[in-house]
Amino acid sequence: MKSLRRFFSRLAGVAPQREQDERLREEIAEHIALQTAENLRAGLSPDEARRQAYLKFGAVEVMKQDYRAARGLPWVENLLQDTRFALRALRKSPAFLIITVLTLALGIGANAAIFTLVRGVLLKPLVNRGEERLIYLHQSAKGIGMENETFSVPEYQDIQAAMHTISDFGDFSQIGFTMIGLGEPREIRGGVVGGSYFSVMGLHPVLGRLIEPRDDGPKAAGVVVLTYRFWTTSLNSDPSVIGKSIRLGSIGDRFATIIGVLEPSVPYPADTEIIANIVTSPHHLSATMVKGRVHRMTELFGRLAPGATLEQARAELRTVYAAMLKAHPEAYPKQDDFQVDARMLRDQITSPARTILLVLLASSGLVFIIACSNVANLILARTVRREGELAIRSALGASKRALRRMLLAECLLLCGLGAALGVLSARPMVAILARYASRFSVRALDLTVDSSLLWVGAGLALVGAVVLAYVPRLPTADASGSMTLASGSVRITGSTRRRQRVFVVTQIAASFVLLAGASMLITTLIALQKTPTGLDTRRVLSINVPAITYGKTTREVIDFYKESIRQVEALPGVDKTAFGLVTPWRDAGSFGPGFQFSAEGYPHVPGEEDPHAHFRVISPGFFAALGVPILAGRDFNDLDGRSKDDPVVIISQTLALRMFPGQDPLNQRVYWTDPVIEFIPGFTAAHYRVVGVSADIDDEHVVPGPTLTIYQTVEEAPIFGGRLFVHASGDPYALVIPITRIIRGMSAEQPVERAATLEDVRAEVLTPERLNSLVFGLFAAVALAIAVVGVAGVLAFSVSARTREFGIRLALGSQPQNLLKGVIVEGALMAAAGVLAGAAFGFVLARLLGGYIPDIKMPGALPVAVSAAVLLAAAVVASMLPAARAARVDVMQALRSE
Amino acid sequence: MKQKTDVQQGTLALMVLKTLDVLGPLHGYGIARRIEQISGDLLAVNQGTLYPVLLKLEQEGAIASEWGASEKNRRARFYRLTRAGRRQLQSETQDWAQTSAIIARFFQVKAEDLP
Repeated sequence: MKSLRRFFSRLAGVAPQREQDERLREEIAEHIALQTAENLRAGLSPDEARRQAYLKFGAVEVMKQDYRAARGLPWVENLLQDTRFALRALRKSPAFLIITVLTLALGIGANAAIFTLVRGVLLKPLVNRGEERLIYLHQSAKGIGMENETFSVPEYQDIQAAMHTISDFGDFSQIGFTMIGLGEPREIRGGVVGGSYFSVMGLHPVLGRLIEPRDDGPKAAGVVVLTYRFWTTSLNSDPSVIGKSIRLGSIGDRFATIIGVLEPSVPYPADTEIIANIVTSPHHLSATMVKGRVHRMTELFGRLAPGATLEQARAELRTVYAAMLKAHPEAYPKQDDFQVDARMLRDQITSPARTILLVLLASSGLVFIIACSNVANLILARTVRREGELAIRSALGASKRALRRMLLAECLLLCGLGAALGVLSARPMVAILARYASRFSVRALDLTVDSSLLWVGAGLALVGAVVLAYVPRLPTADASGSMTLASGSVRITGSTRRRQRVFVVTQIAASFVLLAGASMLITTLIALQKTPTGLDTRRVLSINVPAITYGKTTREVIDFYKESIRQVEALPGVDKTAFGLVTPWRDAGSFGPGFQFSAEGYPHVPGEEDPHAHFRVISPGFFAALGVPILAGRDFNDLDGRSKDDPVVIISQTLALRMFPGQDPLNQRVYWTDPVIEFIPGFTAAHYRVVGVSADIDDEHVVPGPTLTIYQTVEEAPIFGGRLFVHASGDPYALVIPITRIIRGMSAEQPVERAATLEDVRAEVLTPERLNSLVFGLFAAVALAIAVVGVAGVLAFSVSARTREFGIRLALGSQPQNLLKGVIVEGALMAAAGVLAGAAFGFVLARLLGGYIPDIKMPGALPVAVSAAVLLAAAVVASMLPAARAARVDVMQALRSE
Repeated sequence: MKQKTDVQQGTLALMVLKTLDVLGPLHGYGIARRIEQISGDLLAVNQGTLYPVLLKLEQEGAIASEWGASEKNRRARFYRLTRAGRRQLQSETQDWAQTSAIIARFFQVKAEDLP
């Protein structure tokens, strides 16, 4: 307590020095005066009285030192003094100050911003209450390409009944609704949940109530909870929406009441706008869905029972699951490779963003290294120029420690300014990065900038300052030091040059790693964009016109589309219009791996499963509208599907080759065998006659591959979704307004949304790749720029330090070209060493990271070669200027310069 | 060396407190004189050492100071004991008495007294 009080009093004593010194001076004067008066009274002469008084008082200066030491905190005073000195020294070289501060700001700012992002997305706990016990159940069937397969109701029931380590379960099914009654009629992303979902997830409402167990079952009233984002962004946080009734259409329509708004939370498994109870989706209540073991639509969440660990839950889950597989072998074919796993929900949510964020963090680390190396070089050069000054200081008695402290103060100041600027610039950077990262994790959307940004900035500044302060060699008091002192000139030493080279090589190595990574991403992107899709992407407009079945017969729905197509085709500028089920690429994955099917006469190998084919519903003219050729047979016509006796299909080329090798596929018959189809209304097990073979359309993958697809005509197939494809002869977007007008004219409640050419849909799907290339390209460009400046700086410095040597060489008859060549070769050699070091480092880094991040790829030969060439070329260009200066050295001046 | 200073400073601080306790507010010179009178030559050659001690006591809150007029109507800094200082004086006086009693007993012990 006492010592604490004294500390603060001493700290306060640091500042008002003058005042305190004055007080002491006065006290001493008074003391001496009183003592002198006393001595005079004792009979001494005035001079002697004064002398004795001083003698008695003791050594005034020593006492003053003691007094000052006791008054303030010497180290704080030293620091202040050093800082003041550093400020003065730095003000004298503003160019140096600006370059170093900017470089450091870049390095520190990028790191602080990315760290904030990583912390917000990967490290912060979820808002869900008790999130440390929240489990995500994960089923996969890699044999049919399902990395994350949903669960069926019977599977859910089996698991729930048998598990003890997980006490509560919640379920969530993703579903698309058409919503009418809240603003424009439109398609929305929705979720359907059981009554336990919100309590298991540990979420609360901000308004109204959430879905509870009383909302379960077929008799309950339809209720809807709005997500916070939807409520705030689309409904302007209007509290009066509670109690409103809306109509939700999926397979069948239901009315539902809005009962509450969910608190802001990470939407998982899907970023939906509303969450409804089961009764709003008739499909979820249908007997087929409730009883069908292979009818998988639900994602499962659980809460660990008290005392249970994740490991125990995982082990128990595997046992339960194995028993279930054994009991129902027909639902789990061996080659499908069904597996189950339990994970922390937090890990499940962050896993897609982990790779990209860690790579980003590593890249920003490299940028920091590059920035520090560059600043280290500048500081080295500056210290060499100041060697004379340092030597004089050292000769005047400054201890090595004092000199180092002076350097440290300078570096602290530089790094502190850099960090301040970096943290300031990090805020907007975080905002941009968050938007970028939200492509990978929805958590990034809720990112807030907090004090961790400051701490990271300060920490990096401190690390940078300490490293930088210990970089330069200090002059010693030995003979060579006094030489420097005597001549007072710049004399670059071997060790300084070696250090400078090391830093340049480090910079180039780090830049090379970044450059190679960025060029790998860019090559991939170019390859993706160049891949032909087989579609006339620029001319085809895709519009979502989802089927509205409320109060309509199937016939009426079909006729609605037929009439729309007829009227749209009558518009000027429209070549062809057709109905389709899904928008290519954007709607990828809507039907999982497709459905199993077989063909008449196709030999059934025992133990081998039937192949999966994608199921697509189209209207006549679909292939023409998309610009896809029909290779054999014919397109659908208006009569197809009218007769129940002769159902027909069109198949893709790959399917024809696979099922009917060496035969004419026309008039062969195919049929669905998938157990799921019996749960989907409108599907039949009829044997369909093949009337046509089309070229493959891979609407699932941006890079198209061979695709098995069966097309059925809209006349006889179940209709969900609903897209119109319009082949335009002119500007496709000019058609959007007239088309919308036509369709709305026919039905005011019909959503007409998301019109885009297939080219733009493709670009939209490729956005994450493009953003990755952009971000890493930016990093690489910055790194390259810093590295080029570094090479040029070091060579320029080396040339100016060797002016005399060049002068002598020129005087002895050396050709200027030789000097020029020498300097350029020096630069190229440094770059080459950097590239080699970078290649080795990058290889090791990728290996190391590969242990943590599974999907790290090694760049191909081309990107590596290109990056190396770019760096070498940059280094040669950077050495041109100093080289030219070396060749232009004026002999007389150079020789006189000493 | 440091040890010695510490002990000296400690005793000096105690003397300062006691002086102010007995005589009331005093300026630096007055305190020095008083200590000199009682302790003989402790401060004979370096009265100056008193000032760092005064500063330390003031920082600890044992004494307070303010400007006032000396006997000759000159500006002088007067020190006085605070309540905390009085408490500190009491407890340190006790400690000191105890310590010196123990030390005294220690010095009285002769070899034959030990069992």
